[in-house]
Amino acid sequence: MTRGDVLVAIAVVAVALLTVPSAVAMLAPAGDAAVLRGPAGSTTVSTTSPGTYVVEGHAGRVVFRVVGGQVMATAADCPDRLCVRMGAAAPGRPVVCAPNGVSATLERGEELDAVSR
Amino acid sequence: MRSPARQSSAHRLAAGALLLACAALLGYLESVLLPPLPVPGLRLGLANIAIVLALAMHGPRVAAVVSLGRVLVVALATGTLGGPAFLLSLAGAYAALAAMVLLACAGPTFSVVGWSVLGSAAHVTGQLLVASLLVSSSAPLALLPVSLGLSVPLGLAVGSTVRLLLSRIPDLSLSAAGR
Repeated sequence: MTRGDVLVAIAVVAVALLTVPSAVAMLAPAGDAAVLRGPAGSTTVSTTSPGTYVVEGHAGRVVFRVVGGQVMATAADCPDRLCVRMGAAAPGRPVVCAPNGVSATLERGEELDAVSR
Repeated sequence: MRSPARQSSAHRLAAGALLLACAALLGYLESVLLPPLPVPGLRLGLANIAIVLALAMHGPRVAAVVSLGRVLVVALATGTLGGPAFLLSLAGAYAALAAMVLLACAGPTFSVVGWSVLGSAAHVTGQLLVASLLVSSSAPLALLPVSLGLSVPLGLAVGSTVRLLLSRIPDLSLSAAGR
């Protein structure tokens, strides 16, 4: 490993550290709402009430389940289903189904579009 | 990198085809056999071993063909050709290749390990940027710090494997002396 290689590794780690504040600021602290985004737009739902939401994506549907203040993808019409394997969304870690163009992030819910009861 | 002028076109074609087969096979085996990493979209990048080898042995042109070929073969095998997953794969592959070619052209200051580390970081960055465009949200970019952080050990592992291959296999070391 050359000195140049070490510098490259250090530079990548430095960039990773520099992006931490931006990433944290990008997503508000965990609140009582989840924003479900799809190609057709976004919907803000409450995480305080359990419910199931279907978001139409580019390649099919992604089913999100809200339970116990958490939101997670439970089914998806994409080949890998990485979003389903991800588990629940966390602050700074959205659930993303990139092939479908669908994501779910935890945010503070000042204006809810939907509340499931 | 070995001078392309010193290699016959048949030799380059055969070596490129062999590396493409290796890249496609490694990528397929990784997706089938290994469990996904905790960060979405992040993988070990075993297929990158063949891409870095192609760059070290035959230069940017063959590496670009191997990289594009791998993306196409995997997309055809998984039925995702032309879809969003294909775009993600293509963006990652070419961001990585561009970064690695940049370091390769810089001379002996950087070895295959450095190429691989920067390529790994460029791969995840390219994919997250395209993912952000696909979901029309900056949410995927929130994964950038974790993805970039993990790309360093993954790139080191791939680069070290390539360096080992270049030093242990006589034909490879003859083709890419000094890497």
